[in-house]
Amino acid sequence: MSRVAVVGVGNTPFKARHIDKTFQRLAYESVKSALQDAGAGRDDVDSVVYAIYNDFFERCAMPDLHIHYLLGFARKPALRVTTGGATGGYAMRAAYAEVASGLHDVVMVVGVEKVADVANVMEMIKSITYAADPFFEASLGASPAGSYGGAILWHMENYGTTEEDMARVVVKNKGNARNNPDAHSPMDITVADVLSSPMVIYPLKILDHCLNSEGAATVILASEEAVGRFAGKPVWMTGVGASNESGRQAERDDVGDSLFPAVKASVDRAYAMAGVSDPAGSIDVAEVYDSFSGVEICLYEEFGFCGRGEGARFLADGRASAGGSNPVNPSGGLIGGEHAIGATGVYQVVEVVRQIRGEAGARQVAGVKRGLAQSMGGARGAYSVSIVLEG
Amino acid sequence: MSDDPRFKPLKEQDGFAIIPDRWKIDYFASAGELSRFFLELKENAKIMGTRCPSCGSLYCWPRSWCHECYVDCEWEEMSPRGGVVVFSRIEINLNDLQQMQPPFIQGSVLLEGARYPIVSFFRDVAFEDMHKGLPVKAVFLPAEERTGRIRDFYFVPE
Repeated sequence: MSRVAVVGVGNTPFKARHIDKTFQRLAYESVKSALQDAGAGRDDVDSVVYAIYNDFFERCAMPDLHIHYLLGFARKPALRVTTGGATGGYAMRAAYAEVASGLHDVVMVVGVEKVADVANVMEMIKSITYAADPFFEASLGASPAGSYGGAILWHMENYGTTEEDMARVVVKNKGNARNNPDAHSPMDITVADVLSSPMVIYPLKILDHCLNSEGAATVILASEEAVGRFAGKPVWMTGVGASNESGRQAERDDVGDSLFPAVKASVDRAYAMAGVSDPAGSIDVAEVYDSFSGVEICLYEEFGFCGRGEGARFLADGRASAGGSNPVNPSGGLIGGEHAIGATGVYQVVEVVRQIRGEAGARQVAGVKRGLAQSMGGARGAYSVSIVLEG
Repeated sequence: MSDDPRFKPLKEQDGFAIIPDRWKIDYFASAGELSRFFLELKENAKIMGTRCPSCGSLYCWPRSWCHECYVDCEWEEMSPRGGVVVFSRIEINLNDLQQMQPPFIQGSVLLEGARYPIVSFFRDVAFEDMHKGLPVKAVFLPAEERTGRIRDFYFVPE
């Protein structure tokens, strides 16, 4: 197997609506910026993997097909990955496999989502609700937040985590987004602001929710043999772990006290592959799937940054903050930075690569050697991908 | 004039063309090997599960084969009783599939003997009184209101 390096990254700005651009144009702009970053042209790319989550958003059942030739890639191979919130992560994994296996030397991952063409937020949530089991659960009209809300309540009941603790995640991530010129929702807010925002699904208030963004992100991967063709210092994908769980909201085998067992399995695989045995001591930065504020607290524990039930303490002690031991979501994450769903798992890699290169501007964490990108999707993290990157 | 947006003229916003459109696909979906669950629910107000003859796991929602043993399961009527596992309170209407007036409580129930919980609604209980393990039982809509979907029943405290 070849080692696999990231040799180019790019993205569009993220915002609530790019009324002036089609989804094809967003993809093109992020591809162009990644090619420039790599010092490459489109002829250098052998194959493309598209990360586009939801047909309802793009109003097209084969959106990748309607991007590929417009990028000048007719007669080159491409496939599309769609795995909910883990779409970008799984697309990175598919591209990794194409390179590591020797099938192709240079593979590009393009994540794009255009969500605000859907008439309104209710229709958008409905289009996500159609991802539920069509025989048994879709007719409930249950939203993704419901599946996470129950898990977060469990964490509150068992570990004493509070709504104030969760609000601190929002304050951190929207605050971090102020250092990210491409972020959708930079905000200078307080715990009180979060607590007084309207309740959606107890205990989740509107400000505890991730964004619905439009935008695109692109990553170019190369084999060890091909790395020399590109400008700049490569960043290596040293660990790639993925795992799925039951697609139904409530069906989980008892796997101890992990609330997100697919995340645990995926991150353990990625750590094992990368030789990470002490995550708290060796993951210098993490871009993670804060779909809801309380989820990020649970994730610190799944990643092994702290022990079970210690997530809220970890956050309150500042360990997840920019100057902490394991800064989490310096880009702003999904709550402050962006959540253009298919693009998210790709953009997380873009951001970790910038951190490792030392090119993250005002959000740069000092001395980053190794970072983690983690995304998940489906009811309560039923899809999960974790990626370790190193300089 | 049709209210179907596909046949409405485009609008202009900030100089950009905004195209009204709609996806609307109707289905008559076969429940296939799972049909008995829906038929028994509608006709007889019963919750049917399936049991693996090899390992003995009792599944509800039913699955027609056991994913552990790779053998076909056999139908078995579930007890309408069980315990609450997780729950949350929906405060606003999130979409028109929901069809329930918020606030309402949604969550999961482990039916007696079942391997996994099922997702449903809770009624006649205050949110403050909800807790893990709370004994509950299924209540079925009257026959004329049942449609053969899982919304045909909900749970109340025992």
